[in-house]
Amino acid sequence: MKKQTISVLIFCLGVSLVSCTQREKSSEKILNLAVPQKVKGMDPIHSSDLYSATEVARVYEGLLEYNHVNPYLLVPNLAEGMPLRSEDGLTYTFKIRSGILFHDDPAFPNGEGRELVAQDFVYSIKRLADLRLQGLGWWTLDGKIKGLNEWREKYRRTDKTNYDEEVTGLRALDKYTLQLILTKPFPQLLYVLAMPFSFAVAREVVEHYGEEFLNHPVGTGAFTLGEFDQSNRIVYERNKKFREKTFPCNSAPDLNIDMKFYCGKKIPFVDKVMVNIIQEDQPRWLNFQRGRLDYIGVPKDSFESLIPDGKTLSKEFAGKGISLIVAPSLDITYTGFNHDEELFQNKKLRQAMSLAYDHRRANELFYNNTAILAHSIIPPGIEGHMKDFVSPYKYLGEESIAKAKQLMSEVGYPEGRNLPEMTLDIPASTSSRQMADYFKTQMERINIKVRVIQNTWPELLKKITTRQIQLYSIAWSGDYPDSENFFKLLYGPNRSPGSNGSGYNNEDFNRLYEEASVLPSSPARKSLYEKMYQMAAEEVPLLFNFHRRKYVVIHSWIKNYVVSDFSLSGSQYIDVDINKKQEMIKEL
Amino acid sequence: MTIYAYILRRLLYVIPVLLGVCFIVFFIFHVISPDPSIVILGRHATVSQIAELREELGLDKPWIFQYVDTVKSAFTFDFGRSWSTKQEIFAMIRARSVPSLTLSVPAFILSTILSVCLSLFVAFYRGFWPDRFVVFLCVAMMSISSLTYILFGQWFFAFKLGWFEISGYEYGFPDFIPYILLPIIIWVALSLGPDVRFYRTVVLDEMFQDYVRTARAKGLSEIVILLKHILRNAMIPIITSVVIQIPFLILGALLLENFFSIPGLGSMTLDAINSSDFPVIRAMTILSATAYIIFGVITDVLYKIIDPRIRLA
Repeated sequence: MKKQTISVLIFCLGVSLVSCTQREKSSEKILNLAVPQKVKGMDPIHSSDLYSATEVARVYEGLLEYNHVNPYLLVPNLAEGMPLRSEDGLTYTFKIRSGILFHDDPAFPNGEGRELVAQDFVYSIKRLADLRLQGLGWWTLDGKIKGLNEWREKYRRTDKTNYDEEVTGLRALDKYTLQLILTKPFPQLLYVLAMPFSFAVAREVVEHYGEEFLNHPVGTGAFTLGEFDQSNRIVYERNKKFREKTFPCNSAPDLNIDMKFYCGKKIPFVDKVMVNIIQEDQPRWLNFQRGRLDYIGVPKDSFESLIPDGKTLSKEFAGKGISLIVAPSLDITYTGFNHDEELFQNKKLRQAMSLAYDHRRANELFYNNTAILAHSIIPPGIEGHMKDFVSPYKYLGEESIAKAKQLMSEVGYPEGRNLPEMTLDIPASTSSRQMADYFKTQMERINIKVRVIQNTWPELLKKITTRQIQLYSIAWSGDYPDSENFFKLLYGPNRSPGSNGSGYNNEDFNRLYEEASVLPSSPARKSLYEKMYQMAAEEVPLLFNFHRRKYVVIHSWIKNYVVSDFSLSGSQYIDVDINKKQEMIKEL
Repeated sequence: MTIYAYILRRLLYVIPVLLGVCFIVFFIFHVISPDPSIVILGRHATVSQIAELREELGLDKPWIFQYVDTVKSAFTFDFGRSWSTKQEIFAMIRARSVPSLTLSVPAFILSTILSVCLSLFVAFYRGFWPDRFVVFLCVAMMSISSLTYILFGQWFFAFKLGWFEISGYEYGFPDFIPYILLPIIIWVALSLGPDVRFYRTVVLDEMFQDYVRTARAKGLSEIVILLKHILRNAMIPIITSVVIQIPFLILGALLLENFFSIPGLGSMTLDAINSSDFPVIRAMTILSATAYIIFGVITDVLYKIIDPRIRLA
C-alpha cells in the first residue's frame, strides 16, 4: 500500500512538472520576446530607458507614432491626422480620434474603460510637468509650452498640485481638440509627442491606484497587461476592444513583408506577448535556438560562429529557417575631451589624436567590421549627415601619423614632450577595457601616454557631470531622428549636467545650433545642419568613432518584424505563423 | 544565566549593531558614492532638475536628519520605495525572496547532507584510495570557476540533452521545480569541494580523540563510533559553518540567479548597486545584518543543546 502511494505521488509530480512546462496552447498566437534587463515600471512619465519605454508602448499610446515599415516617418496614431501648425510655428492643433476606449479596469465606473478625450492629453502632459512626480521625460518639454513651467513652479511648495488649473499653452478646446501653444518654435515637438512620456493616461486610474499606478497600466493600446513581474516575465493579452487599426500600406521594398497580404489588415495579429527578462546572453541565445524566443539581438560572443563572413548567417543556422536582419542604429560612439581643461582646448592636439587612431583596425577588432566609421557626429539616415564627406582627421596610414606628429610639434609637444599623462575613464566592462587598451596603444604611436581608469556606471556619470575627468569613452543613441538631438551634445549651454558632457563651447557653432533648431525640415535647415556637420569634423570636439549596426536573428515563423530605434509599438504589427512554427520547431 | 536571558541579551545587541550598520551604509553611500540623482535623471539632467530631485529624495537635508531617517527605517522595517523602480521595497523583497529561497534552501540542505555524508565516508576510509580519490576530486572541482559549471551545465544538460529548463521561473508549487533543478545541482557541485574538505578535517580531528580509542576498546563497531560518537562531537564546528551561512541564503545566489533568470534577491541587490538605489541597498544590508545576528544566537543555542557542557555567558 505504501509503495503504491509513493508511486502515485511520483506519477502525479511527474505529470505536473511536464504540464507546467507546456505553457503555450497550440492554437494561440504568442509572441515570445526577451529583454536583457528588468523593466522599471509602467508609468509613461518614468519610461526613460529603452526597455521600460517599449513595455509602456504596448499598453499606452500617443498622438503620433512612427510608421511601422518606414521607421523614421511620423504618422498619426490617436490623433486623427497630423496637427495643424500655425504659420509662426507656435500653435499646434490636434484632432483626437473619437471612439477610442481605455482598457477595462476597476478604476472606471462598472469597470468599463471610457472614451479617450483631449483632456486626457492635457492631464498626461501636466503629469509629466508635475515637479512632485519627477517625470524623467520633463526635458522634452522643459520651457517649450507656454505657461507650463510657471504651472510647475507654482506648486513647488504646496501640498497638492492643482491639475484643474488652466495652462495657457495646453488646452482642450473641445472634447476632441487639443491645442498646444509653444514659447518658441520647436519643430521636434512632433517627435516628442511620439515618445512615451506624453502618452495618454486616464486621471481616474492614476487617482485610483495612487503610488501603485506604475503597476497598473491602463491605456488605449493594442494589448492589456495580463501579468506583471518586472524582474521575471510580463504577459500582455490582446485588447479585445481595440479600435479598427490597420497594417500600413506604404511600400517597403527592402523589408521582407508580404504587403499584398497584410496591407489594410486589422491589428494586432497575436493573442499574447510574453516578455521574458533574461539578463545573460547564453540563456537568451539557447532559448532562441530552442524556439522559445522568436527573435533576439545577436550575442557578441556568438557573432563569429553565427555570421562567419560578417554579412550572412552561417549555413547551419540558415538551414534551420533562421534569418538575419541588419539595420543601422541611430547612434555614435565617441571619446570625449573635458574642454574645461586647457590642454583639450587645443584644436591641433585633438586633431592629432584623431589622426593617430586607426579606426579601421578598431572596427575589425571590436565590431567584427560591421560598424560605420563616424566622420562627424550625425549618423547616416537623417538630414544633416553628409554621405560622401570624409574627415581630414581620420587615420589613413603612416602619413596620418606623420601629420599627427607635425601637428603636435606645431603646438609645442614635439614627440610628446611637455605633454602630461592623460587619463581615460571608461565603464567597467571587458569590451570597454579592450577598446581603451587599444586606444592607449594608438596614442603611444604619437607619444601620448594614457592611463585607463575603469568605473562603475554611476561613478563615470559623476565624473563627467562634475568635470573630474580628462578623456572618457561613451555612446549616444538618438532620442528621435533629428540631427538636433545629436548636435545638442556640442551646444555650449547644454554643458553637463546635461547632454554636452564634454563642455565644448564654440560661439559660431552655438549660433548655428540656435538658428537650425527652430527651423522645420527644409533646405535652409539642411544647409545649416551640414555646416555644423563639417564644423564638428574640422574642430574634432570629440573623437568620433563609430555608428553601430544592429544584428537580429529571427525565426521564420515571425512575420512583419522591423528593426527600429524609435518605433516602440512594433509588436502590434507582428504576426506568428503557427503552422510553420509547429513544423519548424521539430527541426530545432 | 538561563538560556532565555542569554537570548534576550544577545538580541539586544541588535540595537548597537544596527546603529553601526546604518552608519557604515550611510557613510559609504553619502560620502563615497556618486550622486544618485545624476544616475536617475540620466543624460538629459539639468542643474535645476538635479536640485529638484535631490530635494524630493531628501538628499538636501542635513546629514544628521538623513542618518536618523536611515535608523528609523532600520527599526521600523519601513524601507519606503525604490528610487530606481519606484516600487515598494518591502513588496519587492517579499516577492523576490520566494525564488531565492526556493533555490537556496533545498540546494543548501542537499549540499550540506551530501558533504557531511561524504566526509564521514572518506574519513572512514582515510588514507585509502576512496579518500584520496574524493580529496583529489574536491580539489579539482574547486579549481574550476563557478561560471564554467553554470555555462557548461546550462548548455549541456539543459540545451543539448534537454533534461532541464534553460532558464526562467514559475511561481507556485510544483511549477517552479523544473526551473530550479539544474541550478540546485550546480550549487551542490560548487559546494561539495570546499565543504567535503572542511568536514573531513573536522571528522578526522575527532577520530584521534581519546574517547574514540575508549569506544574501540569497549568493542563498539567502527560504524557506531563514527555515527554515534564522532559525528555528534563534530557537530559543533559543522553547525557553526552551516548556521552562519544561512543569512547569506537570503541574499540569494547572484550568478545562478542571473544565468537562470531566477528573479531573486541577489540580482535585485546588484541592480540596486548599479543604479545607486540607496533605499534598496540600505534595506538589504539591514536585513542581512539582522539575520546574521539572529542566526548567531541560534548557533549558540544549538551548541548548548548539542553539548550541555557548554555554558552560555
